[in-house]
Amino acid sequence: MKNSVSKLRLYIVVAVIASIFIFNLIHLYRMQVVNQNLYQKKATAVSSRSNIIVAPRGEIYDRNYDIPYVDNRESFSVVVNPAFVGKDNYESLIIKLSQFLEVEESYIEQKLPYSVRNSFNNVEIMSAVSYDKIVKIAENIEFLPGVTWETIPIRNYLFDGSISHILGYVGNISQSEFQVLYNEGYTLNDNIGKNGVEKQYDIILKGKNGLKYKTVDVQGRKLDKENLEKDVPPVAGKNLMLTIDRNIQTLAEKALGNRKGSVTVLKPSTGEILAMVSYPWYEPNEFYDNSKNAFGEILLDDNKPLLNRALQGYAPASTFKIIMSTAALEEQVPTDLTVDCTGRVFYGDRYFGCWNPAGHGVVDLQAALENSCNIFYYTLGRDYLGIDKINTYARAFGFGEKTGIDLPNEASGQVPTPEWVKKKYDTWWTNGDTMNVSIGQGQTLATPIQIANELAFILNEGVVYKPHVVKEIIDPLTGKTLETISREVLLKSTYKPETFVEIKKYMRGVITDGTAKNAISTRAVEIAAKTGTGEVGLKDRFHDWFVSYGPYDAAPEDQVVMVVMIEASNELDRWRPWAPKASDLIYQGIFANQNFDEVLKTLRPYYLRELWQ
Amino acid sequence: MRRRLELGKTLSRIDFLMLISVFFLMFLGVAFIYSSGISSTGINVSNEYQKQLIRIISGLFILLFFSIYDIEKIKNFAIPIYLTLLAILIYTRINGSTVNGAKSWLYIGSFGFQPSEFTKIATILLLAKYLDDNKKEIYRLKVFIISFGIIALPFSLILIQPDMGTASVYIPIFIAMIFIGGCNIKHLIYLLLLGGLTLFFTMLPGWEEFILQSKNPFVTILNNKNLLLYLIGSFSFSILLSIIGYFYFKKEYFYWVIYAFSIIIVSLVISYIARTYVLKEYQIMRLIVFMNPQVDPLNFGWNIIQATTAVGSGGLMGKGFLQGTQSHYQFLPEQSTDFIFSILSEELGFIGAILVFGSFFIILIRGILILTYAKDNFSVIVGAGIVGMIFFHVVQNIGMNIGLMPITGIPLFFLSYGGSSLWTALAGIGILQGIYQRRYRN
Repeated sequence: MKNSVSKLRLYIVVAVIASIFIFNLIHLYRMQVVNQNLYQKKATAVSSRSNIIVAPRGEIYDRNYDIPYVDNRESFSVVVNPAFVGKDNYESLIIKLSQFLEVEESYIEQKLPYSVRNSFNNVEIMSAVSYDKIVKIAENIEFLPGVTWETIPIRNYLFDGSISHILGYVGNISQSEFQVLYNEGYTLNDNIGKNGVEKQYDIILKGKNGLKYKTVDVQGRKLDKENLEKDVPPVAGKNLMLTIDRNIQTLAEKALGNRKGSVTVLKPSTGEILAMVSYPWYEPNEFYDNSKNAFGEILLDDNKPLLNRALQGYAPASTFKIIMSTAALEEQVPTDLTVDCTGRVFYGDRYFGCWNPAGHGVVDLQAALENSCNIFYYTLGRDYLGIDKINTYARAFGFGEKTGIDLPNEASGQVPTPEWVKKKYDTWWTNGDTMNVSIGQGQTLATPIQIANELAFILNEGVVYKPHVVKEIIDPLTGKTLETISREVLLKSTYKPETFVEIKKYMRGVITDGTAKNAISTRAVEIAAKTGTGEVGLKDRFHDWFVSYGPYDAAPEDQVVMVVMIEASNELDRWRPWAPKASDLIYQGIFANQNFDEVLKTLRPYYLRELWQ
Repeated sequence: MRRRLELGKTLSRIDFLMLISVFFLMFLGVAFIYSSGISSTGINVSNEYQKQLIRIISGLFILLFFSIYDIEKIKNFAIPIYLTLLAILIYTRINGSTVNGAKSWLYIGSFGFQPSEFTKIATILLLAKYLDDNKKEIYRLKVFIISFGIIALPFSLILIQPDMGTASVYIPIFIAMIFIGGCNIKHLIYLLLLGGLTLFFTMLPGWEEFILQSKNPFVTILNNKNLLLYLIGSFSFSILLSIIGYFYFKKEYFYWVIYAFSIIIVSLVISYIARTYVLKEYQIMRLIVFMNPQVDPLNFGWNIIQATTAVGSGGLMGKGFLQGTQSHYQFLPEQSTDFIFSILSEELGFIGAILVFGSFFIILIRGILILTYAKDNFSVIVGAGIVGMIFFHVVQNIGMNIGLMPITGIPLFFLSYGGSSLWTALAGIGILQGIYQRRYRN
C-alpha cells in the first residue's frame, strides 16, 4: 500500500458498482427473459398494421328467394398516397384530378393539405365515384402519380318503391348508436342499418369484418417482410328471406297510388306480412349518391317519407265496431237489443250524429255493424258496456300495445282510460266520451297493423300471431336455412267460438248488404269487410279505412287480411272513398294471380279508365 | 536503446484485462453502429461505422499518450487547462452549433466536437490537484465547498447550453473524487440529501399534474408562492432557534436539527427556482415520462417505449445480428448514439447485455484496483474521478435504454457513435493505465 486511500471507501465504491450492475442485470433479465413475450407483442403491434376487409352485408329477398331486393355493389373511392406523388407534382395532380372527378380544385386541395404530403398513408379524395370517372383516371394513370382507387361494397337496392319501408337503409354509425352498441362489437367506422329490416336485423346482416395485416416501418411504409400476424378472413352477413310477396307488394303499391296512407296484407294463420306499403316512400340508393342531398331533402319533406304509416296510430273509426260487437256478444247484453236510429241522438248537452243523417231505423247488432250505425253503438257503449269493459276488449284485441313486429319505430296506439284522461287533460270522463270511443273516435288510436291483428283475432277465433316480415335467415354460401322465424302467439282469448262465427257473418253482411255493398267488384274471391271513416276535424276529408279478409268462408290458413288506410291529409279525392277500391284491385290480383295491368284489364274499373283504355 | 526499453517496460506493465474489455466494447460498438445503418429494406444507408473506426484509431493515440505521459506533470497545468476549457464552454454557449436543442458543438472546419466532454477530464485534473494540495484540510467544510465550486462552474455552463445529461455527469465525478479523497461523510450526505430532495420537490408538481391527475394538498404548497414562503419562514425560524440553542447549550442535538431543516429549506428554494426559471418544459416532461411513458407515448414517451420494447423483445439470445425489427424498421430513435444499447440487446439478447455489463465491470473493478496501486494521492483522486465518470455513463445510458433512468442524452462510452465521448473515455483509460504503470516508481 503506497498511498493513504481508505480501503473501506474503496470497498464501498465496489459494493455500489456491483449492486447497481446486478440490479440492472436483474431488471434486464426480467425484461428480456421473463417478460419477453410481452415486449415481443408490443414490438409486433407497433410494426403491424391491419386493413379492414369489409364483410359483405347479407342480401334480402322476398318470400320467393329468387331475385334479391337488395344486394351489394362495388363503390369506388379515389385515394392518393402522398409519398408517391412527389413534391413538384402536386399542382398538376390537383388540376388533373379536379378535371377527372369534375370537382373544384379547392376541394382536392383541401383533402391534400401540406401536413399530409409526406405521409405514406392513403388519403381518400372522394368516395362513391362513378365507374366512368374511374375509367378516365385509369386511362391517365401515368400522369397521376400516387393515385389509386379502392373498392368497397355498398348497398344496392334493386327494387325501388314502397319496399324501402320494409328494407330500410344503411348509413354510418352515429356517436349515440355507437355508445349503445359498443358491446355488440361495432366500431366507429361501421355502417349500420338505420331503418326497416336493415336496422332490426343489423347484427345478422352485417357479418364480421376481416383483417389483412402488413408489416410496416415507422413511417407506415409497407415492408416486404413476412407478416407478423395472421390475416382474419371476413365472415359474410346472413341473407334474409322476407315474408313479403313482391307481387302483392307491387300490386298494393300500385293500387294505393299516390295517396298518403298504407296497405297491410297479413296472413292471419302465421302472422306473416305479405305486403306492407306506406306512401310516400323513399329511394335508399339516392342516399349513396354524393351529388344529391337526398337524405336532407327527405328529412325536410312535410309528407314524412321516412315514416312507415302502417305502424302509426290513427283513430280506428268504425273498424272499432268489430271489437264493440264482439263485446256485445260476449257480455250480458240482451241478444235482441235494438236501437231506433233517427240519424242523431241528444245526450248531455249536445247531439251525437250517425254518419247517415236520414237514420237507419230500428237496427239490431247485425244491422248496426253492417251499416255502421253510430247510434246503436253509442247506446251499446254507454248503457250496456261502459268504458272499462270497452277498454278491456280493446286491450284483448291488442290495442294500446306494440305488436312487436320486426320493424323499428312502431307506435303502440292508445287506449284512453278515465284515469289517464284525468291525469293528462285534467277533465273528468263523461258518458259522451264513452260514446265517442264506442264508434272508434275520441282518443283511441290504433295502427293499421293492430287493425289487421284485430281481424286475425276474429279469423283465428281468439288467437293472434305476432306479425313479422322476416321468414328465414339463410346462409349466403350454402343457401341453407339457418333459422326460420316461427309463428309466435301474441294474443289469446277464451271467447265463445259462436261469437267469432257471428262477427264473421256480420262482416260478410257489410259486403252483401251493408256499407260496402257496391264497392267490391272482383269475382276472384268473396270477402268480408268493415269500412271506417275517421273524423279528424276536416269538413270534407276523412281517414278512410277498409279492413277486410278473404275468402270469407275459408280456413284461416287460406285467408288473407287486408287493411287499407288512406289519410285525411290527402287532397280531396275524386274517387273517394279509395280504400275499398284499392282493396278490390288487390284481392283480384292476389286470388286471380294477376299483376296490376291484368287486374285493370279484368275489372276495367271506371275510376282508372285512363290506365286500361 | 533506453527509449525502447521504456516502451517495452510500458507494454509489460499494461493492464491487459482492462484494455481487452475496452477493445471488445469498441468492437461491439462498430458492429452495432453498422447494424443501425441498415434500413428497413436491408440496405446500408450510413457510413457511420467507418467514421467510428477512424475515431477509434485516432483515439488509440490519445490512449497511448496518456498511458505514457506522467499526469503528475499535468498537475501544474491543471488551472490553465481548466480555465481554457471554461472559456471554450462560454464561447460554445454563445457561438456553438445547436444539436438537439443544445448549443454544445464547436466546429473547426468540418471537424466538430463537444467541449463539454473534454472539460470532464480537465475538471477531474483540477479538482484532484486542489484536493491533493489541501489533503490535510480535506475534512473541512471550506475545502468541500471550494471543491464543489470547481465542479459547479462547468456544470452550470453545460446546464445552460442546455445539456442536462452531460452536466449531470459532473455530480458522480465530484462524489467519487471527494469520497475517495477522504472528505467528511456528513458533508457528502448533506449534499446527497439536498440533491435528492431538490429533485423530489422539483418533480412533485409535474407528478401531480400528469401522473396523479388530481389535486394533492402538499403539492399545492409547492405551487403557491405565499404558502411556500410561509413554510420556508417557519423552518428558518426553527433553524434560528436551533442555532441559538446550539451555541447556548452546546448540544449535538441542535446541530442535527439545523442539518435536517436547512436541507429542506434549501431544496425547497432551489426546486422552486429550478421549476420556475431554470428547467424547460421538455426537461420536466422527460422526467415525467420516465415515471410513466404512457403520459405522452408519441412524443416524449416515444423513446422510452421504443427502447424498452426493442430491449425486451430481444429475449435471451436476441433476434440475431442485423435481424432486429424495432431498430431496422426505424422505430428506435438515435440508434447509433444514445440508444445503441437497445439495438445491441435486441439483436444479441440478454447474453449481449451480460457481455456489455461484464466488460464494464472489469474496466471499473480494474480501475479501482489501480487506485490501490497508485503511487500518489493525486493519481488516486484522478482515477476515482475517471471511475466515477465511466460508471455514471454506463448506468445512466443503459438505465435509460431499459427504463430505469430518465432520458438524458449521454452516450455509452466505447459503444456509442461519436468522437468526443470516445476520446474522453480513451483518455480516461489512458490515465488509469498510466497510473498503473507508474505504480512501482516512487
